[in-house]
Amino acid sequence: MLISFKDFSFAYSEDLAPALKHINLEINEGKSVVVSGLSGAGKSTLCLAAADSLSSYPAAVASGEILRRRDSGSIGGTAIVMQNFYAQITYLRSTVFEEVAFSCENNGLPRDEIIRRAGEALEKIGIEHLADRNPLELSGGEKQKVVLATALAMKPTLLILDEPISQLDPESAAHLADVLAELKKEIALLIAENDPYLTLKVADRVVVLSEGEVIADGAFGRILEPGIEEHVELPAWTRCVSEAVKEKHPDMEDSTKRYELSYKSAIAALRGIR
Amino acid sequence: MKIVYDGVSFSYPSKTALKNVSCEISPGSVALVVGHNGSGKSTFLKLMNGILKPTQGDVRLEDVNTRDKRVSELARYCALSFQNPDDQLFASTVMKELRFGSENIMGDGSLVDAVSGILHLEDYLQMNPLSLTYALRRLVAIGGSMAMDTPILALDEPTSGLSQREKAYLGSLISHSKSLKKTVVIVTHDLNFLLPFADDILMLSHGEVRYFGGRDNLFDRNDVRQLMAGCGVRYPIYARMSATLGAGKYCYEGKELIDELIKRKAGAAQRTNGQHQLEGA
Repeated sequence: MLISFKDFSFAYSEDLAPALKHINLEINEGKSVVVSGLSGAGKSTLCLAAADSLSSYPAAVASGEILRRRDSGSIGGTAIVMQNFYAQITYLRSTVFEEVAFSCENNGLPRDEIIRRAGEALEKIGIEHLADRNPLELSGGEKQKVVLATALAMKPTLLILDEPISQLDPESAAHLADVLAELKKEIALLIAENDPYLTLKVADRVVVLSEGEVIADGAFGRILEPGIEEHVELPAWTRCVSEAVKEKHPDMEDSTKRYELSYKSAIAALRGIR
Repeated sequence: MKIVYDGVSFSYPSKTALKNVSCEISPGSVALVVGHNGSGKSTFLKLMNGILKPTQGDVRLEDVNTRDKRVSELARYCALSFQNPDDQLFASTVMKELRFGSENIMGDGSLVDAVSGILHLEDYLQMNPLSLTYALRRLVAIGGSMAMDTPILALDEPTSGLSQREKAYLGSLISHSKSLKKTVVIVTHDLNFLLPFADDILMLSHGEVRYFGGRDNLFDRNDVRQLMAGCGVRYPIYARMSATLGAGKYCYEGKELIDELIKRKAGAAQRTNGQHQLEGA
């Protein structure tokens, strides 16, 4: 077990509605959890809680507990890329390479190790070409990639990503999904994301939040049932089939599932209309 | 209001972001600006309201050259909503945020109520924008720009950080802008959501224009997939499904696709019926 939420509740202040209510959730090595839900459902708060970053809210009210593996706070422990990743660039360094190396440097790793890790992280995210650029002059999407690379360079055992593809172009988003699908074999991932294509590729498990509560928890294919599409974005093909089935389109086979996650099967079902 | 880029180049100290960009966006149309990260999209938008002035060439809003006006003057023509809403928000309540540009720049605040209704911000009007979720902060930033009621509305990645519920609100706002004959320019990676609203597409790669023209013309081109791949853009999912299912035309959203499939089926049935009748005679 890397991290375990036990009946954890949290409100940013006494007079605000709780952002999280009675969360029970365990995250293990080699597993990836994608957290979905409408804005305001508690996704970012869950990420911050997992990263142990909620202590900076002095008026907050919390109950229950979060158990962590003892080394989770050190380098190689937990890394997070926040929704507002702009705030995570230090701007203390004049090149992207040094920026990505900064957290390793700060943790006193040997020089050779720092250089190796920064180089590897840039390559993994596909931004070697930005190594000598000044972070200040990068575009929004490029900055997001820099922060993602910085997190990877820490070689965390738990990597927390809050909407990691929000500013990425579609090719880069697909590339990141591939990187994460590979990475999850070794480490644990907690990702707040509504993009169904990333979820399909990366998630072992989807946790759906609504108003701070877990309303579904399981493999993507298993949590889909009537009503859930208000909270979870479905792939376009799944949505098309679901609409057609819901409207009881006469040409749809009776056996057509209402939620068809596979592109091929969805297309086959839609061919019924053709 | 017409927007003209005439041989526009722009360089930052260490990088040329746009090279010889020319295009003409018609009054009242919705144009999407797409391209890979670092392709120059946001720079393109910042040139429109004069935050940046071209290194070469001219940007004209109708017959106003952006070189001849200060940003504060250009704010009467073009409202820009930034990529990061936190760069834009500053007022102590959502209401003040929505009213600020509107009252200080265009005068009457007549759109404020409509905007807060369309974006479903009514319950938050007295709250501090910085205490809201990221998605709501983005809607407030977009709403503040829209409420300025300028002839041009420029949005930088408006769907990022929005869940499907807020995306639907944004869709209504774009439709409303269109009905008010505003020219809307949107930088985006989210073609799957925004294509149904688009008239024109501008595709950028490494600061150069790879395509500018009508949406439908783009999808009629044989090389559309290569063109998009070269710009870091994925072939939109509904277009891919339309082609696979032989829908007969490119559909830009799910309902359109299903309707098209049904229509074709009905057409085919009618043709078969006609055939039978002929044979019967």
